Amino acid sequence: MRVTQSMLSNNMLRHISKSYESMAKTQEQLTTGKKISRPSDDPVVAMKGMTYRTNLTEVEQYKRNLSEAYNWMENSDAALDKATSVMQRIRELTVQASNGTYEESQKGMIGKEIEQLKEHLVSIANTQVAGKYIFNGNDTTNKPVDLSETPSVSENKNSVNLALSQGIEVAVNINPKNVFTHTAGPPESGLFGDINELKKALESTSGEDIGGFLDKLDSHINNLVAERAELGARYNRVELIDARIGEQEVIANRILSDNEDADIERVITDLKMQESLHRAALGVGSRIMQPTLMDFLR
Amino acid sequence: MRSTFHGLETARRGMFTQQTALQTTGHNIANANTPGYSRQRVNFVQTEAYPAASMNRPQIPGQMGTGVAAGSVQRVREGFLDTQFRGENNKLGYWDARSEALEKMEDIMNEPSDNGLAKTLDRFWQSLQDLSVNPEDSGARSVVRQRGLAVAETFNYLSNSLTSIQDDIKSQANITTKEINALLDDIQSINKQISEVEPHGYLPNTLYDERDSLVDRLSTLLNVEVTTKPSGGKPDPLAAGLYDIKMKDKDGTEFTLVDSASGTVKHLSIKYDDAAGGNGLADSVEVGGVPITISKFAGGKLQGLIESYGYNDNGSVKGIYPEMLANLDQMAFQFATEFNEVHSNGWSLSEIEANAHTGYNFFDLGGVTDSVNPNGAAKLLKLHDDMKELDNIAAATNKFGGDGSNALLLGDVKNAPLNFPGSKSSLQSFYEGAIGKMAVDAQQAVRLTNNSAVLTDSVQQRRLSVSGVSLDEEMTNMIQFQHAYNASARNITVIDEMLDKIINGLGVGGR
Repeated sequence: MRVTQSMLSNNMLRHISKSYESMAKTQEQLTTGKKISRPSDDPVVAMKGMTYRTNLTEVEQYKRNLSEAYNWMENSDAALDKATSVMQRIRELTVQASNGTYEESQKGMIGKEIEQLKEHLVSIANTQVAGKYIFNGNDTTNKPVDLSETPSVSENKNSVNLALSQGIEVAVNINPKNVFTHTAGPPESGLFGDINELKKALESTSGEDIGGFLDKLDSHINNLVAERAELGARYNRVELIDARIGEQEVIANRILSDNEDADIERVITDLKMQESLHRAALGVGSRIMQPTLMDFLR
Repeated sequence: MRSTFHGLETARRGMFTQQTALQTTGHNIANANTPGYSRQRVNFVQTEAYPAASMNRPQIPGQMGTGVAAGSVQRVREGFLDTQFRGENNKLGYWDARSEALEKMEDIMNEPSDNGLAKTLDRFWQSLQDLSVNPEDSGARSVVRQRGLAVAETFNYLSNSLTSIQDDIKSQANITTKEINALLDDIQSINKQISEVEPHGYLPNTLYDERDSLVDRLSTLLNVEVTTKPSGGKPDPLAAGLYDIKMKDKDGTEFTLVDSASGTVKHLSIKYDDAAGGNGLADSVEVGGVPITISKFAGGKLQGLIESYGYNDNGSVKGIYPEMLANLDQMAFQFATEFNEVHSNGWSLSEIEANAHTGYNFFDLGGVTDSVNPNGAAKLLKLHDDMKELDNIAAATNKFGGDGSNALLLGDVKNAPLNFPGSKSSLQSFYEGAIGKMAVDAQQAVRLTNNSAVLTDSVQQRRLSVSGVSLDEEMTNMIQFQHAYNASARNITVIDEMLDKIINGLGVGGR
């Protein structure tokens, strides 16, 4: 084959520009840290990348929802804890009053304290977390208990569901109808009703049987404890979901990284190789291009 | 009897011919870097020997040579390689136009990234999740509205950007047809010049080179075939003749673009569907008034550009850009329709307060209602006027402010199967499919561009091997011709001395 100067220079130019091109590619991988910079570099990686990104976003969002779920449940639990100790105190007072050794005025004093404790229970039932009433089902913008109104206790027992994982919704509130109740009388019943009746009995002078209220109070305390137990069980479940979401986040991040992150050691090695190749190409080029017959003719 | 001065004439011919060769060598060296130049060679021929065979020939022992003449100056070129080069160059033009169009599209779609449509939809979903957790919070509502606005604006942006690139491609296609027509005119005008030179027996090498580079340039733009016809008069047997330029469609029907015999040139033009209510896409390419449907039009950059811009094929719309635009319109339409459906079924804070269900819409499709061809849905998508009031966002399925279950249902719209034509798939997977198709197409275009570039280069290499000027070779030739020239001159000196002897040295005996 006849080889001419223009062939040599064309060839050299083409190879040098090819070598520049692959250096640019390697450099791009190094600076972006990504294997691909446009979908056509690798369509499969690009499409997987889109799915993995969505997965990661979802997992991150579920983590955010989880912290809100903890917020609800821990506040509900704390409020129920307070409510239980208030009920214990009412029970103690009732036991004292049922002794029969107390004078009427002393009973009246106990009645006053119980009245205050009831108000405290009302305020616990109206607990607000971040502006939301947590014991009013999903009607969180309205007060659940207002004893001056009828009905005095909200009827809403709908659950507040948070999405904590793909397709998994968990109720984060308790059913307030199991705990905070009031039925108008006479005689009144329900939690607030029974306390009202108890107070009336303490304040009356007819010497009613106070001890009879203990059973009612015990059943209310049981309700509180049962609801807390139920909440605790759900809390455990949320913790399990949390652990799983945590693992999923790690996995999602790793898969995303495996899919599209460049292997830096490899890229640097490639770059070094490209560099020396390029040097060699330039060096050889300068040697080929220089001499012609003219250098040797006199 | 032969002439006394025979030797002088023979040597003179030698000097003249070597001089011609030296001049051609100089021309070759001067044009060593001229694109499209083919090296030239002087064809040396011996002049007729003496004596010629005839009745009155002198009786001398044997015929004697009478020297050399420059028979012709020929360019060294291989026509077969030209055909190969043009074939590959044509593919290169087609795939290059396609890969450029797809590359621009990839830049606009910008996937996978943290700023693309997929991410915007993910963020919208996130804001709906946040709303489902805090349905009574006006901050969460306002984030939903802004992210919804971002979704609409991303659709608008993608659609508008793709359309403006599409318009660029259209003007590029129009300029390309103008370039093709100008090249055809140029080729015919060179044909004409050649037809005036060749009958006299000359070889117009410069015109040949010029015409071949014009055909090379034309081959990038259009799939052309060259056939040659001899000129009239008495052309040199080495003459290249006149070029007829033809084009074939996919069915094999031939269209003559340049007819050297009649000297006519047929121009190309693209016909668009510009009638009222038309979609403005290409309908056909007309060759001298005869239409070729785009689906049958073959080859080159022009085909690549028209396929990128989009064309009508038997009532259906095809092309890289129109297909992606249609996909975006489908996505915007199906998503917004389903989203509005779920949204209007829910209860917003304002509806809960008024205790009456109005059914507010979230997105406004700008009057697009055709679910089969929702043209312009992506461009016109915006937030519905109902959403000016934050409390009109329906987060609840029942009449309680703390209920966020409708927000969850709204979030699920992204993953729910929607009624895309031909398939029931989720928005995300439909979009992934569209991006995947674009990526595969772009990858193919880039790969084939590289392939045809390699092939074009290798044919070009072989052309250069035949036609390129080698300086070493020219230097060698130069020395060779110089020596021959010098020797011819020396020959004249010898004959001169010989004649001197005859004229001045003879018949002077005893002086």
